[in-house]
Amino acid sequence: MSRNTTNTQDPFFIDFPNRISQIQDAMAQEGIDVYLGSRLRTLSWTTDAFCPWRSYIVIPSDGLPTAFTFVIDAARIADDSWLDEDHVLGYAPMGGMDQISVISGFIKDTLSITRGRIGVENGMSNYLPEGNLTHYEYEQFKLALSDAKFVNAHHIIDRLSLIKDEGTINRFREASRIVDVGHRAVKDALENGGYNGMTETEIAGIAALAMRRAGSVWEWSFTGGNEIASGYRTGLAGGACTPASRRKIQEGESLMVDIHAMFKLGLGDHSHNYFIGTATDRQRWHANNFIDLVSLCLKTYKAGVSPVGLAEEMMDFAEERGFADYMVPGFEHGIGMMGDEWRIGPSDGPIPYWTDPDHIYQEKELLICAMQYACPDENIGFRYENPIVIKKDGCEPLSKFPLGIEEIH
Amino acid sequence: MMEEKLVYLSPQWRDEVENRLKKELSPEKMKRISTSMTNIYKNCPDGKDRFLYFKCEDGRFTEVGVGEGESPQAEFMITGDYETFAKISQGKLKSQRALMGGKLKLRGNMVKALKLASLADRLNKVLSQIPAEY
Repeated sequence: MSRNTTNTQDPFFIDFPNRISQIQDAMAQEGIDVYLGSRLRTLSWTTDAFCPWRSYIVIPSDGLPTAFTFVIDAARIADDSWLDEDHVLGYAPMGGMDQISVISGFIKDTLSITRGRIGVENGMSNYLPEGNLTHYEYEQFKLALSDAKFVNAHHIIDRLSLIKDEGTINRFREASRIVDVGHRAVKDALENGGYNGMTETEIAGIAALAMRRAGSVWEWSFTGGNEIASGYRTGLAGGACTPASRRKIQEGESLMVDIHAMFKLGLGDHSHNYFIGTATDRQRWHANNFIDLVSLCLKTYKAGVSPVGLAEEMMDFAEERGFADYMVPGFEHGIGMMGDEWRIGPSDGPIPYWTDPDHIYQEKELLICAMQYACPDENIGFRYENPIVIKKDGCEPLSKFPLGIEEIH
Repeated sequence: MMEEKLVYLSPQWRDEVENRLKKELSPEKMKRISTSMTNIYKNCPDGKDRFLYFKCEDGRFTEVGVGEGESPQAEFMITGDYETFAKISQGKLKSQRALMGGKLKLRGNMVKALKLASLADRLNKVLSQIPAEY
């Protein structure tokens, strides 16, 4: 069991039993007898453990939930989770032990549920490891629990996980502190000619080592861990995904350092930008546009603002200053405990499973303030990402690394 | 002189199983575990279903039972055809292979089962050395 689970004074304490009770209350209101979660975000939010293998959580109408994962990882998850080993079970490629047999058997025999309503997680995502129930799994569970009715119920978790508790926010604060350590290490390594002969992948590794020393357990992002881009790669159109390549850093180019740390499933994600050598006036013009836009955006985020309202305001500013052509017209992406990325809030917007552009931000929502500036014709671009906590009259940027686009000599 | 063969799953075979398990598998060899396991034999030659039940406390075999009909409750339940179990008891088929091939179905905590896999192999090895008629 996690050491911090029961210590309410721990800054990273999260009341997981209370989360389960909240889910069970919502299940009761919707007449759901058992919740079968399969999304990575759901596993993280309910177990407090990273579940890299296909995993499920079965939440009964009362009492403790039971997680199921590939048997090779079940003991480790039980060790990391607040759940004990009797509530983290394994499945395996053996007769009667595959995931469908084990989970359906558990629901029928242990929970004594053969009829009633089973809540599942169905939908789509642009995020690869989302973990919705697959068509095959759905069909097999229906066969195994043929008298039960399956209903889509992910909205329960989505709603409950939207507003972050203090323990979660503190985990993100710590992950961001760690990311700042990584940024300092990268800057130190680049300075005084250190960039000579250095590749993007080496920069990613320098950041990773520093962050791991500072307490990170993983460079978590599925976009390639630490994303480093230099030269023309910073300016790829719409290019908000840059797994580090073997490209060498060169003088006269821009450099984008987007690094990620994970601390107790809280995620750090901050992108900082540099010029290698002295920037030309034109390059500095691009850089100033970007810095001014980021500053304005951070001043604008607060409770009551919507993604589309904020985007319109930012794009108006960019248009006024003559750089709207270089902007990706989005200024955020969602974030939550490991596995909860991209979409903000529930899936109730005009395009299913994408952020509702009219979503109204509330206090204690957490998101990534994100901007991508790209000018492919000039091989230049910048990225800003920083987790922010929405407050009543503003926002709290969690990464404190000073905003700027410095020249590295 | 030919060694006497015992009828598989008969009371006499059961007695021999218990004797040999107690003699050959010390509590240390059994890692001092406490657990229970039932093998459910489907489609026995006479058309009936049977069970073979083991109970182990602190590494000592305290119960070995064979019978027809409903088996005692056990921490692990393995179900399969008589023929499959018979091959395992004769050392012609490894239980792991039978499980992975879906010929046997296991019920119970898979994580614990994984820890006990080597012990099950030891147990099956003892069974395979008993001369039996199948």
